[in-house]
Amino acid sequence: MKKIKAKSSEVYVLLGVLAAIIILFGVASGGALFSGNILQTFAFQFPEFGLLALGMMVAILTGGINMSLVSTAALAGILGAMVLSNPALDETTAITLGIVVCVGSACLMGALNGAIIACLNVPPMLVTIGTMTLFEGISLNLTEGGAISGFPETFFQVGSGSILGIPIPLLLFIIMAVILFLLLEKTPWGEKVYMLGSNPKVTRYSGINNTAVLFRVYVLSGLMCGLAALIMISRYNSTKVDYGASYLLQTVSAVVLGGTSISGGYGKVAGTVIAILVIQMITTGFNLLGINKLFTDICVGAVLIAVLAANSLKESGKLNFSKKRNLA
Amino acid sequence: MERVRNLFKKKEAGIITIFIIVMIIITIGNNAFLSPANIMNILTTNIVMGIAALGMLLVIITGGIDVSIGWVITIVTVVIGEFSTKVGGNLFILILVACATGAAFGLANGILVAHLKLPAIVATLGTMSIINGLVLLVTNGKYIRELPDYISGLGQQYLFKVEMAEGGFYGFPVIWLFWIGAIVLTWFVLRHTLVGRGIYAVGGNVESAERVGYRPKRVLTFAYVYTGIMAGLAAVVHTGIVRIVDPLAFKGFEMQVIAAVVVGGANVLGGYGTVLGTTIGVIFMGVINNGMVLMHIPTFYQKIAVGLIILIAVSIDVVQQTMKERRMVKVDIKD
Repeated sequence: MKKIKAKSSEVYVLLGVLAAIIILFGVASGGALFSGNILQTFAFQFPEFGLLALGMMVAILTGGINMSLVSTAALAGILGAMVLSNPALDETTAITLGIVVCVGSACLMGALNGAIIACLNVPPMLVTIGTMTLFEGISLNLTEGGAISGFPETFFQVGSGSILGIPIPLLLFIIMAVILFLLLEKTPWGEKVYMLGSNPKVTRYSGINNTAVLFRVYVLSGLMCGLAALIMISRYNSTKVDYGASYLLQTVSAVVLGGTSISGGYGKVAGTVIAILVIQMITTGFNLLGINKLFTDICVGAVLIAVLAANSLKESGKLNFSKKRNLA
Repeated sequence: MERVRNLFKKKEAGIITIFIIVMIIITIGNNAFLSPANIMNILTTNIVMGIAALGMLLVIITGGIDVSIGWVITIVTVVIGEFSTKVGGNLFILILVACATGAAFGLANGILVAHLKLPAIVATLGTMSIINGLVLLVTNGKYIRELPDYISGLGQQYLFKVEMAEGGFYGFPVIWLFWIGAIVLTWFVLRHTLVGRGIYAVGGNVESAERVGYRPKRVLTFAYVYTGIMAGLAAVVHTGIVRIVDPLAFKGFEMQVIAAVVVGGANVLGGYGTVLGTTIGVIFMGVINNGMVLMHIPTFYQKIAVGLIILIAVSIDVVQQTMKERRMVKVDIKD
């Protein structure tokens, strides 16, 4: 029982940090942070980043990493955009087909990562660096460096419409976060993912098919990229190779900040979601105060190192304690 | 003969084989590839990568990774750009300044990874985003131009210059000395010094290394500081070649360096990697880029090829290892 309490306290600490940041920026901006306009922009902005971070999280939970995240999203977006901007298709077909192609191709790219990582046992970082370059190359080839635009009118709804006052991107993000939460923390499959992350050998010997679990994790990661790509191309009304390029390392920051262990085996969806909000809040707050965007990078880096260092110091304090007890 | 056979058993054999095949294909496609001028060109364009990769090699052998290397090189170029235009000095002082700046950032990474025990990728990710912000804040994204001659002329200096009758000349570029020096130094450190052996030991198994008497914290810190020094050296050479300081020149450079080191046979999980392999890895990547230009393949295809080659090289490596392990198991059973 004690353990569970200790673990959820991490989430509360993060919530506290988030609240402090909101209050800080709220006061500093003279309440402008809470104006409907800013909140509206915020709600439309963070889901694409959030979905990518969730995709990164599942990979990190297994002790891996997915460096190809952003290039997967870019390539999926480009493939989807090629269908969407095809004048030969009528509007409904174009949109349906475009969404299917976008999400489907992202899953396929995830499957490629998963196949190499799970079946050949190649370290995930290397595989995904390889596929990152590969997908980027294919994207460049398809667009020749330019942008694709000219989508059907109704498609903008995906990125800028609302249902019952809730922006569709936000809705999509909430749905995926809840699904991921249920999948990881409430099903046997999720249990396997965590087990695999903490000790693959023991997991293998307890009769779990590591290959199948890992493969699905990377397909899931790809799926998140596909959804993020949908929101991105709809919001920008066009697509290009380097859309979202700055997100890659930020997603790792968000996941680690959210309390997920970078070596796998531990991490909560709630923690990641709050960390995503913290990072996006810092960005929005700095924008609002008119502070140079570069301070955001410095700040996020500093926060990341500070949180980790605090955790590690806490951890080593614990170790010393137990050592002393053993001696006694 | 025994020696030759041993060479093929080595881990680098796979990459050397692929390297030779690729070279044959490129030569068939365009026989200008093997001309001395082109080979010199390939080597010169990859010196910066080659020096940086040597630093990255040490970190990767310890089982870590340094994704901040690109931005560390950038901030050193900015520092030496400012230093040489505002303070002056000479090449020797400039190299010292560059290496010291690089070492300072390396030390920061080293403390975070070794003493605070942060995962290497996250710690360097953090320093990377901080340095990235600092560089752009200080320079405003602008170039630094009009560097003094001793640095901007570095790329044009040759030893043993021989003028050819039909114009043009051959010579030994001075900047190659930097690369050769770095290679020899790294080889010596890894092979013949206590800390070098410690790097392999710590990369293989931290606890065993500690029991044998190495101090993992010091060894790890050394690896990151050495990477910083190599980054400093790479920054000097880069500035000597391009003759301006561009704050965005090394965007995405870290991935290329990591790819080159890994293609060169180093194990990302730590414990294995050689200077020879890494240098071949760097030249190999350079040859691919150069070969594709020579074969008139559109630049858009180059990334696809590089991605595929990384995937193939890494997969072959792992499959080879798995097969070797299986064979060892079999021997055990027979005995």
